[in-house]
Amino acid sequence: MLQFAHPAYLWGLLAIALPILVHLFNQRRPRPLAFGAIEFVLRSQRQKARRLRLRQILLLALRCLLIAAVALALARPSLKPRGVEAAQTSGPQATALVLDASLSMRYRVGTRTLFEKARAEALSALERLGPDEPAAVGLCAGPAGFAAGGMGAPSFDRLAARRLLQSAQPTYLASDLTGCLAAAAKALGESPVAGKRIIAFSDLAAHSIRLDAPPPLVPPAANAPPGSPGIRPNVVLVDAARASDLPNAAVVATAVRPSASLGPRGYEVVATIANSGAQMMSGLQVSLKVGPNTVAKGFVDVPARGTAKKTLGAVLPPGVVGGRVELARNDAQGLDEDDGQDFVVHVPRDVKALIVDGAPASLRSRDEAFFVEAALAPARTGGRIHAQTLDADAAANAPLEGYDVILLLNVPAPPRAFAEKLRQAAVQRGAGIFIALGDHVDPDAYNDSLGDLLPRPLHLIKTAAEPAAQGTEERAARFGVVEWTHPLFRVFGPAEREGLESARTFRYALLKPEGQAAHTLASYDDGAPALIEKPLGRGRVLLYTSTASRTWTDWPIRVSFLPVLQQTVSWLADALEQRQPLPAMVGQERTLSPPAGARVEKVLGPDGQAVQFRRETAHPDDAVVALAAPGPYRALVAPRGVEPREEPTLTFVAGLDPKESDLRRVDEAELKAQLGGAESAQFAASSAAAQGAHGTPLWSGLLLLGALALLGEGALTRK
Amino acid sequence: MTLPASNVPAVLARLGPLQVQARKVMEGVLTGLHKSPHHGQSVEFSEHKEYAPGDEIRHIDWRAFAKLDKYYVKRFEMETNLRALLVLDASGSMAYGRGPMTKLQYAAVCAGALAYLLSRQGDQVGLCLVGDGGISRGVREFLPFASSPSHVQELLHILEGAQGRGPTLLPAALDFAAEKAGRRALVIVLTDLFDATDRSIPALKMLRSRRHDVLLLQTHDREELEFPFDDPTRFLSMEDDRQIEAQPRQIRASYLEQFRSFLENTRKDLARADVEVEQIATDAAPDRVLLKLLARREAA
Repeated sequence: MLQFAHPAYLWGLLAIALPILVHLFNQRRPRPLAFGAIEFVLRSQRQKARRLRLRQILLLALRCLLIAAVALALARPSLKPRGVEAAQTSGPQATALVLDASLSMRYRVGTRTLFEKARAEALSALERLGPDEPAAVGLCAGPAGFAAGGMGAPSFDRLAARRLLQSAQPTYLASDLTGCLAAAAKALGESPVAGKRIIAFSDLAAHSIRLDAPPPLVPPAANAPPGSPGIRPNVVLVDAARASDLPNAAVVATAVRPSASLGPRGYEVVATIANSGAQMMSGLQVSLKVGPNTVAKGFVDVPARGTAKKTLGAVLPPGVVGGRVELARNDAQGLDEDDGQDFVVHVPRDVKALIVDGAPASLRSRDEAFFVEAALAPARTGGRIHAQTLDADAAANAPLEGYDVILLLNVPAPPRAFAEKLRQAAVQRGAGIFIALGDHVDPDAYNDSLGDLLPRPLHLIKTAAEPAAQGTEERAARFGVVEWTHPLFRVFGPAEREGLESARTFRYALLKPEGQAAHTLASYDDGAPALIEKPLGRGRVLLYTSTASRTWTDWPIRVSFLPVLQQTVSWLADALEQRQPLPAMVGQERTLSPPAGARVEKVLGPDGQAVQFRRETAHPDDAVVALAAPGPYRALVAPRGVEPREEPTLTFVAGLDPKESDLRRVDEAELKAQLGGAESAQFAASSAAAQGAHGTPLWSGLLLLGALALLGEGALTRK
Repeated sequence: MTLPASNVPAVLARLGPLQVQARKVMEGVLTGLHKSPHHGQSVEFSEHKEYAPGDEIRHIDWRAFAKLDKYYVKRFEMETNLRALLVLDASGSMAYGRGPMTKLQYAAVCAGALAYLLSRQGDQVGLCLVGDGGISRGVREFLPFASSPSHVQELLHILEGAQGRGPTLLPAALDFAAEKAGRRALVIVLTDLFDATDRSIPALKMLRSRRHDVLLLQTHDREELEFPFDDPTRFLSMEDDRQIEAQPRQIRASYLEQFRSFLENTRKDLARADVEVEQIATDAAPDRVLLKLLARREAA
């Protein structure tokens, strides 16, 4: 369908009447002449009549064609893209070229991505702009609208615009096309040219467009009277996908959690696979990679426009483990970047614990170590903690090498030699020592025997209430102040704290005030310490001032006992399971806070190269990293003046915005309505068609046709 | 040989009556003759001639017939005086001419001059005015042979009153002329030979076959020879109701080719029959044309 930039020139088509009139005049008004040799005229005319008539008609047609071609060329016609019903514009227009650089534009169709196609279209559009049309270029990516400093005022610096487009690359970010159009309209307001036009090159994915937003409006000129309404720009949306469906499967989420059924350090990785296509995807292969090795594979069926979860299990090595879930896809078409997702998991190391049972009993439930053994049983710890129980005498003679944690439960004051072994283990090997009291404990003997192993010396045993006596429960002590942020108690959410606070303690040891290095983690409601710790060399000592059995307290039968004990053992062994890093998303910023006394010196991106980061004045040791690409990020930290080392706890993974994996197209009618109706919005398959309202794709061809008609006319009349 | 510049048609046309024009031309011819070694004409011979339709049966040599089984006409009388018959085509096409003189006027001047010349040397001259509506089919007027001055004046009078109209009826007129010429005569035919029936040339041949000396003065206007028209034109026939609209520029080449072919074929065809043909344009000086013609006949 033809449309014209300067339709007034179409009046020139009336000039076609001239050759027709001349033709008719020649036909109807010949000069009469009585001629003697008419016989020869008749013969000549008969001979040439048919050819002459044909030539006359041809001449007439060529002359009409010449005039029509010139008139049409002046009107600057172009082919209107299919489906376009928008109002035509005329005259020069300030033009904003908006190039969608979001992740979904990386979708590959054939040998080229949508972005490459869109960029080529944008360059073509730039070339086709008239010399009197200023242009601005913006790359639409990220929540802020335009990337790289936004869109400037339209200018005639074609070179800069071309360079910007040529160097443009797709990002991993989501885009807000609606916001970009609004910003582009605002930028157009800075141009004095009356015509305003936005040409957006996008895949028109529904997620990037907000249909409930107001349409883009160019603000009124500065010299306009107050209250002047904004101008509605002519918006042309060039569909890089050319209205075709873009089926896509993507890993949109990954969850990693320990799996006791898989044994020690067994983890299951739950991948959520989304299918944005209209067809179900069957037998999609999902593989789990740890490092370079594929450790598990599986297949999943994903319903159309739906999601499916696939769980893959693996035993992971201790430490910070990086892995990746990947989809295997055979087609060349699709979005490659979301076919996999990285994850990082902090796998705690195994702990070997020695339980020294100071009050063994033949009845298991009466045994001092019963509850502790139960809490550290492999079924409850995933096999990470290997506990061995010895009585006090056996333990005194046993070698302590190889044990990460030694738990003394109601052990009578140990001989000095054993105490010395304990000190050596803590100070030199960094082993942890847990001391729980009981009836076998004599405070003075303990102070004597263990000395500085104790965080603070024992003073005396306080009985808040008699255990098992009727009506004494209310007088029993309860946990008062608890340091909930400490690793021992971090597992308790606000809702779960009741399980700890409700434990009742009938008898406990009071401590002497000495011991400045000790740190109270929990205390009873009377202020007496309940759990108190002290670093000792490379190790730690934790003193529990009551029993680990039901003798002095009912805590061991409470649900809170088990996690606290497990955490205690891990913490003392310095093998505490770290809290898994919070998920991060490309386009966001992540603050990396190093351990106390250290400073983030370098951050390595997914490709292993250092990435830029900034520091905040309030926390000068922290690093704030803008996440531009998906994958694992690692941080190197160090105290000032020391060679940086990698801090595994700061390792995290930046994922992609799952919205970008959904390439379902926006409804054209709804988008047109949002943009102000068919009067202002057009859809086009190419930039050439998009500029049809003002472009010049046909006039040069028409001029050529006119020139050919002129040549033909000349050749015919010369004969 | 040079001719007075005053005898070109543009000047002749302003000289008034045909008698004056013809005399002027004759004087031009005589002036030329006096300057040339021309000694006049005479025709003397005696022979048998094969019989042809139109010959008098009483002149058939029956003895020759008995010997040869063919009819021969016996020519035993000496012809001392030349008899010349001027056959002037006064059809519609001869009225064409947008210059000083039409073809008919030009031919009449030539015929008048010839009549003067012939009568001046004592030859008898007759006139057959070819056209419709006359005394016989194809003959509008006929003047028998005579040589008196009054006869010449009458002849000139007829010539002056001749008007070109109607179709070309030359074949019928030539038949008539052959009948009226009787014994051997000089038949001078002045025509454009635009005959839609194509029977004029056979008629001329027939005339020659009857032992007449036939001279064809084929007269054409310059515009007919060159077809110099440019504007779209509706060409009207001058002899009937035919007409045609044409773009002259577009058909000029074809027209000229056909016209040249017509002239060439006529000349060759009649030359083969021993008919002398002089093709003249009406913008040429008549006395120069006649002088050239007489010189050629004398040389022959």
